[in-house]
Amino acid sequence: MSSFDHYLNRILIAAAAEAHAEGSATTEAHHLLLAIAQDGSPLLAAAGLDHAAVRAALDREFALSLAAAGVRVDGGLPRATPLLAGSPQLGATAKAALERGFAAVQRKRDCRPGHVLLGVVLTPVGTVPRALELAGVDRAGLAEDVRREIAGGGDDR
Amino acid sequence: MSVEISASGDVADRLAAVGALRRLADRLEDAAVEEAMRSGWGWPQVAEALGVTRQAVYKKHAKRLIAAGVALRRRSG
Repeated sequence: MSSFDHYLNRILIAAAAEAHAEGSATTEAHHLLLAIAQDGSPLLAAAGLDHAAVRAALDREFALSLAAAGVRVDGGLPRATPLLAGSPQLGATAKAALERGFAAVQRKRDCRPGHVLLGVVLTPVGTVPRALELAGVDRAGLAEDVRREIAGGGDDR
Repeated sequence: MSVEISASGDVADRLAAVGALRRLADRLEDAAVEEAMRSGWGWPQVAEALGVTRQAVYKKHAKRLIAAGVALRRRSG
């Protein structure tokens, strides 16, 4: 496996663990974002997004989205025992993010870790952009930084 | 938990609300089904209480609850 394959595999495993911890049956784009932040991304860190900050932004997005339907959850959600056997399937938003990230790549060997982050950051609608906006992140600027990092040969780790 | 459905507001907010409500419902379902089965409910009762078929509730929760060590009543019970 190439070093990129190792990176992607590590991120997918970490993202599945995030999904699992949430009791989600699928790994989604926001789980990829959590995994990338947890793995350590200088670009995310520079934008003020460590794992705790991403988690906080996602929690806020969840609460605000529920509030749009007039629902407020007090005192947290009830906990259920998560499924231990097997990994969550890759969900629609995670697939779309990965496809988006790799769309710019001509050959598979040109894939870099930055492409995974790029695909997530470029997610146009839904949980990820809403959470990033709540965290005060300039998505277009961040995407540009990621592109520059990829072009510069850095691997954003 | 307070509920007050609003049909107005930005459509992006309302779409996000649907996604968030689904996630909330899934979390509540996982916890409530587990609690019911731990306290001796059978699949037919849980299914009827949720308004779904017992096949659907079994398929969705049996593996998780067995792994969690919940003593399940026979599926027909």
